Amino acid sequence: MKAEVVSAHKGGMWAWLFQRITAVLLIVCLAIHLLFTHILNIGELDYENVANRLAHGTLTAVDIILLAAALYHALNGFRMVLMDYWFTSRTRALALTVVLWVVGVAFMAYGTWALWPWIS
Amino acid sequence: MPDIKFRVKRQDPGDNNNPEAHWEEYTVHYEGENLTVLEGLFYIQEKFDGSLSFRFCCRASVCGSCAMYINGAYRLACQTNVKHLDTDLITVAPMPHLPLVKDLVVNMDEFFAKYEYVMPWLVRHSPDPEKEIIQSPKERKKIDMPVDCILCGSCYSSCPSVWSLGASLGSKSEEYYLGPAALLKAYRFEVDSRDEGGKERIARWNNERGIYRCHTIMNCVEACPKELNPTEGIQWLKRAAVRRKLFRKAK
Repeated sequence: MKAEVVSAHKGGMWAWLFQRITAVLLIVCLAIHLLFTHILNIGELDYENVANRLAHGTLTAVDIILLAAALYHALNGFRMVLMDYWFTSRTRALALTVVLWVVGVAFMAYGTWALWPWIS
Repeated sequence: MPDIKFRVKRQDPGDNNNPEAHWEEYTVHYEGENLTVLEGLFYIQEKFDGSLSFRFCCRASVCGSCAMYINGAYRLACQTNVKHLDTDLITVAPMPHLPLVKDLVVNMDEFFAKYEYVMPWLVRHSPDPEKEIIQSPKERKKIDMPVDCILCGSCYSSCPSVWSLGASLGSKSEEYYLGPAALLKAYRFEVDSRDEGGKERIARWNNERGIYRCHTIMNCVEACPKELNPTEGIQWLKRAAVRRKLFRKAK
């Protein structure tokens, strides 16, 4: 018997799995981020000291991962909430997903651009 | 002979003179110590108003017909003894968030359409054995919880993801969330060692109309009159989806 698949909705496993993965990344990266920006003392909070702190490659990498994980986690969570309301159908959900990806990529680009002097 | 007050939500959308919902109060007399809410409704129907509509059948909490919203919780009218509610006022309303037919009767068509959609039957591909299909006690234990579902609809009615505004905004009902009851049923067969329909069934629940629409709000767990755990079943399905798609496991 070949089962006819009626649901217009397909997939969703990757979004669900990434939501879990980014949650773990958020806990780790956020802890490191907060530790270095708020708890460890770097002396006077001026441009030079902050720039020196950012110059560590690992810390910049953590910040980039934090940005990506936070954006994905937040926007996907927002998407799942909205899908319970107006974005129920496959077409509406797809449109929502595209818009949120554009927003996410734009923020990601902006954040990476801001950190660019220390990445390059 | 004790008395107890029943406040029943009445509505007949087909009555042109009075289509609005309203509450009506009845005083129910009963002998002895025990009275179920269902017996109270029988009394009201006999003594006060024969037009009171409600569903019932087995009176032993196995058929799932008489799920209602009683004193602020999902309960089976036949299973609920008024003395356990510990109050002199029993409020009885139909299950909320479902289309009303009349008084305490709600339209369950969509509920059963979604139930049927997940293929709630045993699918076999291998040839039938001589006798019954063998299942070990350990394997049987896995279906102990989901097999007790009586399809009363309490979980379905209590789930905020089911309440989706889609219905009133014109999207097709084929796209609404399947709901906890249907997914618990899918779990019941997926976790069954005798079932071989995983391949056909997975496309039906492994999508954003199915398991991923569950946000583990757990209203279903609280609502279930049989004390089952649909959320646990849905979470198992989520893990199973990853196991099967990523690691190519059979179950």
